[in-house]
Amino acid sequence: MLKKHIKNTVAIIAAATSFASIASAEINGPVNYIIPFGPGGESDISARLQQPFFKDKFGEDMVVSYQPGGGGAVGWASLNGLNGDGQTIMGVNLPHIIIKPAQKNVGFKTDDLNTFYMFHYTPDAIVVTADSPYQNLADLVADAKANPGQVTMSGSGKASANHLAQIKFDKLAGTLTTYVPFKGTGAAVTALLGKQTVAEWGYTTVGAKQGDAVRMLAVAMENRHPLFPDVPTFKELGYDMTGGAYRGIALPNSASAETTKMWSDMIAEINTDPAFQKKMLDGGFAMLDVDSAGMKDFMAARVEEYLKDAREAGLIK
Amino acid sequence: MEFSHFLSAMTPFNIALALFGVVAGTVIGSIPGLTATMALAVLVPITFSMDPASALILLGAIYTGAIYGGAYAAILLNTPGTPSAIATTFDGYPMAKRGDGDLAVALACFSSVFGGMVGAIALLLLAPPLSKVALAFGPVEYFWLSIFGLSLIASLSNGNLMKGLAGGAFGMILSTVGVAEISADIRLTFGSQVMIGGFGVVGALIGLYCIPVLIDLVATPERHLKVEENVKSVRISEAFKIAMRSKFNLIRSSVVGTLVGILPGAGGSVAGLVAYSEAKRTGKDHQKFGEGEPDGIIATESANSATVGGGFIPTLVLGIPGTPPDAIVLGALLVQGVRTGPAMFSQSGSIVYTFIYGLIIATILMLPAGLLIGRYAYKSIVTIPKAVLVPTVGFMTIIGTFAIRNSVSDVIIMLCLGVFGWLIARFGFAASPIVLGLILGPIAEQGFVQGWTIGAATNNLIGMFFGRPISQAIIAFTLMTLILPIYLAYKKQPHKEV
Amino acid sequence: MGTSSSKSQGQFGSLFISTLFIFIGLITLYDTTSYSDRDSQVFPQTVAIILIITAGTSLITRLLKPSNEGGFGEGIWWRRVLFISAMFITCFAMPIIGFLASGVIAFTSGLIAAMHDKWSFRTVLIYGCSGAIIMVSFFILFKFILFVPLP
Repeated sequence: MLKKHIKNTVAIIAAATSFASIASAEINGPVNYIIPFGPGGESDISARLQQPFFKDKFGEDMVVSYQPGGGGAVGWASLNGLNGDGQTIMGVNLPHIIIKPAQKNVGFKTDDLNTFYMFHYTPDAIVVTADSPYQNLADLVADAKANPGQVTMSGSGKASANHLAQIKFDKLAGTLTTYVPFKGTGAAVTALLGKQTVAEWGYTTVGAKQGDAVRMLAVAMENRHPLFPDVPTFKELGYDMTGGAYRGIALPNSASAETTKMWSDMIAEINTDPAFQKKMLDGGFAMLDVDSAGMKDFMAARVEEYLKDAREAGLIK
Repeated sequence: MEFSHFLSAMTPFNIALALFGVVAGTVIGSIPGLTATMALAVLVPITFSMDPASALILLGAIYTGAIYGGAYAAILLNTPGTPSAIATTFDGYPMAKRGDGDLAVALACFSSVFGGMVGAIALLLLAPPLSKVALAFGPVEYFWLSIFGLSLIASLSNGNLMKGLAGGAFGMILSTVGVAEISADIRLTFGSQVMIGGFGVVGALIGLYCIPVLIDLVATPERHLKVEENVKSVRISEAFKIAMRSKFNLIRSSVVGTLVGILPGAGGSVAGLVAYSEAKRTGKDHQKFGEGEPDGIIATESANSATVGGGFIPTLVLGIPGTPPDAIVLGALLVQGVRTGPAMFSQSGSIVYTFIYGLIIATILMLPAGLLIGRYAYKSIVTIPKAVLVPTVGFMTIIGTFAIRNSVSDVIIMLCLGVFGWLIARFGFAASPIVLGLILGPIAEQGFVQGWTIGAATNNLIGMFFGRPISQAIIAFTLMTLILPIYLAYKKQPHKEV
Repeated sequence: MGTSSSKSQGQFGSLFISTLFIFIGLITLYDTTSYSDRDSQVFPQTVAIILIITAGTSLITRLLKPSNEGGFGEGIWWRRVLFISAMFITCFAMPIIGFLASGVIAFTSGLIAAMHDKWSFRTVLIYGCSGAIIMVSFFILFKFILFVPLP
């Protein structure tokens, strides 16, 4: 009798919770979108671009807030402690979430993050000023070979996408360049424009933002970026290099499967909107669609690739 | 042509927005922990449904107001409401303690309006040429600028240079804790994850400046601020006279503020410190600085307000934001489809010029609004009984620190720093050198590492650090600032124990 | 507080803090040995050496020339301790009982610590009400206008 009673109660509770999780698979009031960096970076800009489309399509506000610290680690370490009801999401970045936990204990592991969508990436690119003597990539490679170490290239941080790209390219081209780390892409571009360094390891977004002030020598994409039909890819020039910094969004891992699916669908819907795509491409971003179903394979491939690069570069043991 | 933009900025709606923005910004800025960045981040979505120029006017007005509002808490509670107001505490709090708080608040308002105007006019008329300043400053210049800022420790340590320097070095060590910003290491966390984010400047400011004041307040029954028996009803004209007497200081500090504001990565706090240091060096009574000298407030408040306009110069011309609030405005512009960069003034001129005029209008509106709010803030701090003031401020420190990164451990760190700061201040180690080290440490470290990397790569280390004209000028100013207090200390030596 | 006790207090405290700083410098030097990147070592090492030298110098000068500078001065200890410990308790209680409830701990204790006049029914009522208004309005401002996720 008692047993049956307990059984019933359990069934009711189970039904109630499953009902609650179905019911919670809709957003309910403003959504908090945490960017684990300060404002002004690529993560912030792309979130800002999503913001109006989200409000348009789903009728709720998307509130972007910043939680900088530890190169994103503070935010990601706190993510799983947040409420998984779908009202809070957080931007995630590759290679950061792969390299940082591999270096030291930073309070989170790559697999802990419930990343449900990767919506764009910024392809690596070598950028020089408009009046630079390097007309093309061959000029830069020739100079770097003639004067080993004297070609200085600014970039955002160490063990970052820029830094990995620099190491990888040096190896592919057989050159020795000097990487000068700056705090964020903005500072790296400033150094380039002020001719503190002769070139910059940046992204296609730098070319979009700086326009005529800079020239991109090559981009690390499979095909040329629609905004820059004249800039060759590394592949065209004989260097097997594609990639960059990937950006996506994660939920706390307490979020239910329904909530995760709902969010994945919502971001996918924004990503397929031609008006959104145009804004992103105009900003120099490259679109990417990895939804929650395909995330596991995508991440596994990236983890392998980045860890191999970082190990060869001596950034991790 | 440009005048038409002025008229379009002058619509009643825009003026109302500017007024609202200044008032809201001032209130936000006066609460330690609430920063302009946070207020702007929340408000950006409004810009989607509004005319872009109006929306930008609102954002700019909030930013301007917040930088000024930081002075209230600095003067009345010895706690910079925003990092920009650090140097305002040096003379503002002593003035408030001796009963001149209302005068200090009025002075801060005049100086802020003046500095804000200089910055905004520079943005309007000289933006493209001035943006070159941002580019002329390389890693080495940032390094020397931070050393110049640190040289202020010598004059802040009141005759005990060694303790001041130790505090500064301690602050710089604190600044390295956590994930290194440009290199690939995690430092001084001892395996704990609490410290990975390092010591946030805003939280450290609240802890090191505000908590010691509260600890002292509860311990004795004395009033918080001295109040004159016959409070003069208006001290605005007195403040105005003082400001006019120091017009040279006002102009120099505003120019310094504009120039430092142009440098991405420096910001209002550095501008205030540099202007303060210069005002002290050239002032007639440099010994009085730090003991309630009105010129100290004039220098910092005009300089930090000038950084608002100055900071928009690289933001708009180069697409490189000078400060986090600038970055948010830049993001809002991008979403609107405005492309920043050299062509922006011609392509999207109407939005940009309307925005700049809006900023000027907001700065002018700050005069009446600031004086009014300032009087109210002073009166309430003076009249609220201590028993309510202390817990209110204590509650504010908790909620404000929490809001920076939504983290309880940040609040605990803030409190620990506060107790530590109070403890060491009892034995002659002041808080300000630590704060200077914390703020300038990362600038020094990054500038040094980058300068060294470039110099070593090009086999020109000495030329890199000592051969560049701007560096040489900054080194010269640093030496002048350093020699003065050492000379004074030498003169004082016979009477003073070390 | 007598002169003699404050003298020894000032002397002892100064020496203690200088020693503490030297110790912090040594810990930093030790920690830098574990860094993999030379770029992240240079600065902390330099600064730690400066800290050790300057703190060491003030330690030595103070030892050679003892003085009564410094000390805790006047003030009531239980009030200080009550205030600070209440603030800490608030932090630890916050994730468990929520922001407002834990804020009450800090506010009430701060009120008691800072209250030097006589309590009366009237003051209890007025201060209590104004405290509640202040806390609730801050709570609303942060949580619902600025979207800070307060626990």
